[in-house]
Amino acid sequence: MLSYALRRGVLAIAVAITVSLATFFLLNFATDPAQALAGEDATPEVVQQIREEYGFDKPLAVQYLRWLGGLVHGDFGQSYHWRSPVGALIASHAPVTIRLALMAIAITILVAIPLGAIAALRPNSFVDRLSLSVAVGAQAIPGFWLGLVLIILFAVKFPIFPVSGDSTWKHFVLPAIVLGAGSVPSVMRLTRSGLLEVLGSDYIRTARAKGFRGVRLLTRHAMRNAMLPVVNVLAVQLGHKLGGSVIVESVFALNGLGRLAWQSILGGDVPTVQMLVFVFAITFVVLTFLADLLGAWLDPRIRLG
Amino acid sequence: MKTFRIPRTALLAVLALAAALARPVPAVAAKSDDTLVIALQRGITSVDYLYTTKREYIILSLLTDDGLTEVDPDTLEVRPLAAKSWKRVDDKTIDVTIRDDVKFHDGSPLTADDVVYTYEWVLDPKSRANRSKQFREWLAKVEKTGPYTVRFHMKYPYPLALHAMGFSMPLRKKGTYDAIAKSGALPLGQTLNGIGPYRVVSVEPGRKTVIERFDGYYKESPKGRPAIKRMVFREIPDWGTQEAELMSGGVQWAYDVPYDIASSLGASGPVKFVNGPSLRVGFLVLDAAGLSGKDNPLTKLAVRRALNYAIDRQTIVKNIVRGDARVIDSACHPAQFGCAQDVMKYPYDPKKARELLKEAGYPNGFSFDLWAYREKDSAEAIAADLAKVGIRAKLRYVQLATLNEARKKHEIQSYFGSWESGSVPDTAAIADVHWSATTDRNMSGDPKVTEYMIGAQRISDPAQRKALYEKGLQRIAEQAYWVPLYTFSLNYLVSNDLEFHPPKDGLPRLYLAKWK
Repeated sequence: MLSYALRRGVLAIAVAITVSLATFFLLNFATDPAQALAGEDATPEVVQQIREEYGFDKPLAVQYLRWLGGLVHGDFGQSYHWRSPVGALIASHAPVTIRLALMAIAITILVAIPLGAIAALRPNSFVDRLSLSVAVGAQAIPGFWLGLVLIILFAVKFPIFPVSGDSTWKHFVLPAIVLGAGSVPSVMRLTRSGLLEVLGSDYIRTARAKGFRGVRLLTRHAMRNAMLPVVNVLAVQLGHKLGGSVIVESVFALNGLGRLAWQSILGGDVPTVQMLVFVFAITFVVLTFLADLLGAWLDPRIRLG
Repeated sequence: MKTFRIPRTALLAVLALAAALARPVPAVAAKSDDTLVIALQRGITSVDYLYTTKREYIILSLLTDDGLTEVDPDTLEVRPLAAKSWKRVDDKTIDVTIRDDVKFHDGSPLTADDVVYTYEWVLDPKSRANRSKQFREWLAKVEKTGPYTVRFHMKYPYPLALHAMGFSMPLRKKGTYDAIAKSGALPLGQTLNGIGPYRVVSVEPGRKTVIERFDGYYKESPKGRPAIKRMVFREIPDWGTQEAELMSGGVQWAYDVPYDIASSLGASGPVKFVNGPSLRVGFLVLDAAGLSGKDNPLTKLAVRRALNYAIDRQTIVKNIVRGDARVIDSACHPAQFGCAQDVMKYPYDPKKARELLKEAGYPNGFSFDLWAYREKDSAEAIAADLAKVGIRAKLRYVQLATLNEARKKHEIQSYFGSWESGSVPDTAAIADVHWSATTDRNMSGDPKVTEYMIGAQRISDPAQRKALYEKGLQRIAEQAYWVPLYTFSLNYLVSNDLEFHPPKDGLPRLYLAKWK
């Protein structure tokens, strides 16, 4: 178990450094951070001054190593755009994204697992077909479009929720629906197929023979085994939501990590983008690791190591 | 198979939630609580304009800061603001008298010490202020000559000195930057002790910035007493969301809105579409000097003139740019001082363009690269117009940084440029960047143009300056170093409750806005 965790830890750092290296060079090739910071209409003198101030005139390798050196010493760097320490910046934006991601994953679980279970209990019935159609529909709708439609319906026509912002829990409902909807199809289909497989197994036949039926049979016996692949997918989906909510956060003007990443990319804020990519990569690895642990708990036959 | 039953407690919880949600969301702010909510695509991260450059920050700074001077929004002439008056002692010296009734937001009075401190701080390279280098270029020093008088010593007669004393140099209390002078850090800009008509109440970077009318603002200020008590600058990056906020009353003012969104929403919703001018102009720069290669067809005058004749600028303005945009013939904005209009003109004439191409030895036209980083629709229309006379423009649409880099390496035959002049209504603000001998933007290779256009910003006599600009602009037009295209327009969406007039220089002065 310990060696497994260590291997995962080393892998996480290797992934994060590789990704940060790629990010650093791509960002510097794609844009001029000094120009991005100064703005389109800044005079060449202002742009040059910023270039010298921030050390953008130094070779890229020197700039990268300087950043990496800081990281080793626990210095996450200073944001050019926000002028505050990157660590503090990420810490201040994280709660919004965490709240949004947890609400979105809760919506996914609340919608997808019951739908998948109903579909599995009545395969090829009207309910099954309807659930499948809902799932395919949800997957096909782009998030930004769904977001705007929900805003028009539930914030403009029927002002139940606010249009944008993140000051109350109500502000999170529509974005969480949009973000959660994207994961419903995969989770629902996995639940359905997992349950179908489990429901056909010998121990379920035995349970039925003992008189277990319906919800009881599902929750006490079938669900636990059917949930193994679902848990893994949910972990990956949570990772996506923590790191990939750029569009939803922009549409709903939520001041989370996704929007921070977008603003930093636009503003040529290399230290912030690098650190965000680093954090996102680590988050993914940690979540996958936790999913493995949960899998082992759900199925005692699985042993890590 | 058993039917499923929803547990009663779950049902009650859902009903309770529905009841809670059914209550409509109250409007965030509006006329009723005297709060104007402004939507910005890019938010405010710092409220200190000495350390920012972008446009949103100027709009905010005009509310929270005052400089010694300002541009009169009606006449576009410079007038005193925190200054009472000025006197030109000689070509390189200006004496400024400061008002004695100006207070900082903390209640302390503005004195000559504060003015000298602000300028000295910016002139010090250690300040790392954004326009430090720019000011060092022309300003030698500022000295106190009395409790309310200061003297400006310039390195050479700089005609834009009074403009530069405006919003570019918001005044600060002596000692404001003492802490960062020691640490060498940049100021966070989360608080501000300015002298403008509004004071900063709170800054939440990425979310909102709240400002409130400053009751101690000097009564004699040309800006006047603002009518609206509170303003909230909200960052809403998505245009669709801005539209929804405007429709639901959550936002009352949006700026630089794409024309299609502004016109459609203005025609149907609770907001009106207001269109106004901008000092931004669009133009094609042609490599007349042959920097990108001596065989470049654009080195031939007849070819450059053919390009000028071949582009139907009027149609592009009417169908693509729209709004308040106008076709231009000079290499500047007509509203700018010195922007002579009596220059050689090139009306749309594809026949003449073909004749000129034939005369230049290109009866079947030629191919060239046209670089652009914005205004893709216009660039495509231009390429289509050129194709009609046989010129095959290969459009290279890239990031601004890529274009800058390629231009620096002399790899560009022609590019679509645009310049806003920092909202300074003087031709010097566009000439300096484009016609100096050292800038890579100057692809004319013509020292005469530099002599006229840059010479005009080394003297202070307005008549002499005008004469030089006339010569320079005429030469640019005759030699067709550019294809001047059009001025831009700015689109605003404004709540029907709000009275707002678009400014002539594209700089919204929201302190003049009022509720109807």
